[in-house]
Amino acid sequence: MILAASVYLFGGLAALATLLMIFQRDPVKAAMLMLAALLSTAGLYLALSAQLLAALQIILYAGAIMTLFIVALSATPAAWRDKPSRGSFTKVLGLAAAAVILTELLKVSAALKAIMISPEFSETGTLDLALTLFGRFAFQFELLSLLILAAIVAAVALTSKRRAA
Amino acid sequence: MSAYSLAAVSFVLFSLAAAGFLTCGSLVRMLMFLELMLNAANIALVALGPETVSQAYAVMLFAIAAAEAGIGLALIITLASAFRTLEAENIRELKG
Repeated sequence: MILAASVYLFGGLAALATLLMIFQRDPVKAAMLMLAALLSTAGLYLALSAQLLAALQIILYAGAIMTLFIVALSATPAAWRDKPSRGSFTKVLGLAAAAVILTELLKVSAALKAIMISPEFSETGTLDLALTLFGRFAFQFELLSLLILAAIVAAVALTSKRRAA
Repeated sequence: MSAYSLAAVSFVLFSLAAAGFLTCGSLVRMLMFLELMLNAANIALVALGPETVSQAYAVMLFAIAAAEAGIGLALIITLASAFRTLEAENIRELKG
C-alpha cells in the first residue's frame, strides 16, 4: 500500500516538475526543475524495488548529466540573451500533439488494465543484475563502451573544430 | 494497483516532456526535454518488464542517455558559437 502510494507520489512530483519546467523562462531554474524531476524518478525506482537504478539515476542523471547541462548553459551566453520567439499557434499545436500522443498511448495500453501488480519491497538483486549484464548481455554491454568512446571522440572533434576556427 | 496505472505514470511524464520539446524554442531546453522523454521510457521499462532483464536494459539506457547528452551539448555549443543564438527558429542555414 505504502509502495503503491509512493509510486503515485513520486510520479506526481516528477510530472509537476516537468510541467513547471515548460512554463519556466529562466534556463537555470528550468535545469533545477529538471533535477527535481530526475530525483523524483529515483524515488520512483526505489518504490519499484530497483535500488541500484535509483543510485545510478542520482549519480548519472542528477549528478553527471545535470552538471553537463549547467556547464553548457554557462558556456553559451546566447542561452541567456535569447528571447522566446515562438508564436502561440506553434505552442498550441505542440500541446495538441502531446495530448494526442498521451491519448494514443493510454488507448493502446488499455489491455494492461487486466494485469494486477502489487509492488512489494524486495532485496536489491544487484548480483543478479551484474550476472545478467556480464553474462547474457555481455556483448551488448561491451558495445556500449564503444558507443561511449565514439561519443567522446565526436564531442571532442566537434568542439576542437570550433576552437581551430 | 494495475499495470495500466504504472504505465500511465510513465506515459504522462513522456507526454509532458514531449509537450515541452514541441513548444519550447531553445536548443538546450529541447535537449533537456529529450532526456526527460528517455527517462519516462526508462520508467515504463522498469515498471512493466521482467525484473532483472528490464533493469539491465535500463542500465544500458543510462549509458545511451549520457552519450546522447554529451554529443547533443557539443553540437549545441558548436551551433551557438557559429550562429550566436540558441533559438531553433533562428538557425536556418545548413551549410557549415
